[in-house]
Amino acid sequence: MDYGIEQRDLEAVVRLRGRLTFNDHARLRGLIGEMVQNRAPRQVLDLSSLEFVDSAGIGMLLIAREEMTNNGKELVLRAATGQVKRVLTVAQIGKIVTIED
Amino acid sequence: MTQPAAIQCTPANLPAGVERARVLVVDDNRINRHLLLALLERGGIRQVEQAADGNEGMKRLESFKPDLVLLDLMMPHLDGFEMCRRMRADPRWKRLPVLIQSSLNRAEDRARAFAAGATDYVTKPINAVELLARVHIHIQKRCLLHDLEQYHARSQRELALARSMQERLMPSPARLATLRAACGLAVDAHFAPSSELGGDFWGIKRLPDGRTGVYLVDFSGHGVGAALNTFRLHAICQQLAPVCADPVEFLAAVNTRLCALLPSGQFATMLTGCVDPAAGVFHYASAGATAPMVWAPGDAEPLMGDGTGLPLGLLAGTRHEARSLPLPPGGRLFLYSDAAIEIPQGDGVLDEAGLLAMVRRRTGETDGARLLDGLLDELRATGPIDDDLTALLITRER
Repeated sequence: MDYGIEQRDLEAVVRLRGRLTFNDHARLRGLIGEMVQNRAPRQVLDLSSLEFVDSAGIGMLLIAREEMTNNGKELVLRAATGQVKRVLTVAQIGKIVTIED
Repeated sequence: MTQPAAIQCTPANLPAGVERARVLVVDDNRINRHLLLALLERGGIRQVEQAADGNEGMKRLESFKPDLVLLDLMMPHLDGFEMCRRMRADPRWKRLPVLIQSSLNRAEDRARAFAAGATDYVTKPINAVELLARVHIHIQKRCLLHDLEQYHARSQRELALARSMQERLMPSPARLATLRAACGLAVDAHFAPSSELGGDFWGIKRLPDGRTGVYLVDFSGHGVGAALNTFRLHAICQQLAPVCADPVEFLAAVNTRLCALLPSGQFATMLTGCVDPAAGVFHYASAGATAPMVWAPGDAEPLMGDGTGLPLGLLAGTRHEARSLPLPPGGRLFLYSDAAIEIPQGDGVLDEAGLLAMVRRRTGETDGARLLDGLLDELRATGPIDDDLTALLITRER
């Protein structure tokens, strides 16, 4: 997995690319740190270029949500497709995190 | 030979392992041997033995078991090249550091020595500082490697033990045979962690009223952390046996326990259900598990249930939906962990539809074990499976 951050007025958009799995733990921890430091109140994870997520990856997205909440920010998961969208749907992650198309 | 005046080897500044190291000096020249012995002693190495040629050297290896060999090349009877080759051909000495000390100093000689299996090479006249430095480096490396091997071997032993404990969490063949005789339910199961230990877990239990409860759990992540969670959950499931008959209540109770236990970012997907033979129905509830599949003899198409639901351990108070699938006599129920629908295939993954197509081609197979084996073979042939894979095929024999 790799990512790029785009800063807008009220939101920071982080575009995740590739596969988000068990092996990305350290990298995502680093990203969460960056998102906490970022001034924008809305932190958007753009998942349109994410091809695959496993259960450990979902766990990391949930950690990101908790960290944002603890820092008074909102986390949004945006534009998931394919397998990533199916996993988010089956696990009803929308009940915990804001999901946008 | 230059004097090692600059080297002050006190026990405090010796590299790890040097004090206990055993060095074998093989050289046909007695004066050379004694010079090397004196030099090694000044370098903090007390346990040194000597041999005058390759034959004697090979014999000394057996009794002395050195940590390093200082080897001359040109010797009568058996020369250093040949001794080196013989050591490398023996598993016991295959990785023993061999430091060549020779007056042969052409590039071809060095190349020949390394081709014979030498670890390192210094030329005569010996530079004492260099020789001792190299001896220390090789001994230290050997000690580190030895520690690492010990550690690795111990980890492997412990993981193997943990793995056998984890396998015993799941029903034994004897218990499944009893269940089959009592309830007419045949269970074919496959459990394959992606590393030594896995985050998957399943159970099946006869209920007093003639129904049978079954569940399959998949903890997020894999490896040791996920495996420890399966042990916790096994204990929880034992305590919650009384509510096992009601899938919705069972999920709610497990969720309450897991919310209190699991750190943020960890969760479990779980499907639990009850086979009701009188009604011919499989009642179930799912917390983000994969979609269960059922089919009856003669069905052209397996029926896929719904696995949708919030995983356990995330949100206290979650209630899951009660669902059901038909399961008449002769009917089959197939449960599996998500590894089966995350196998890379082309640009994407083999999804539920892909798995359903594989199952569909096998609905005519009457032998449960053959059906499951064939299905698993096809899954493995599809692509690498890099998560824990559990699959359960439950057949109503009456």
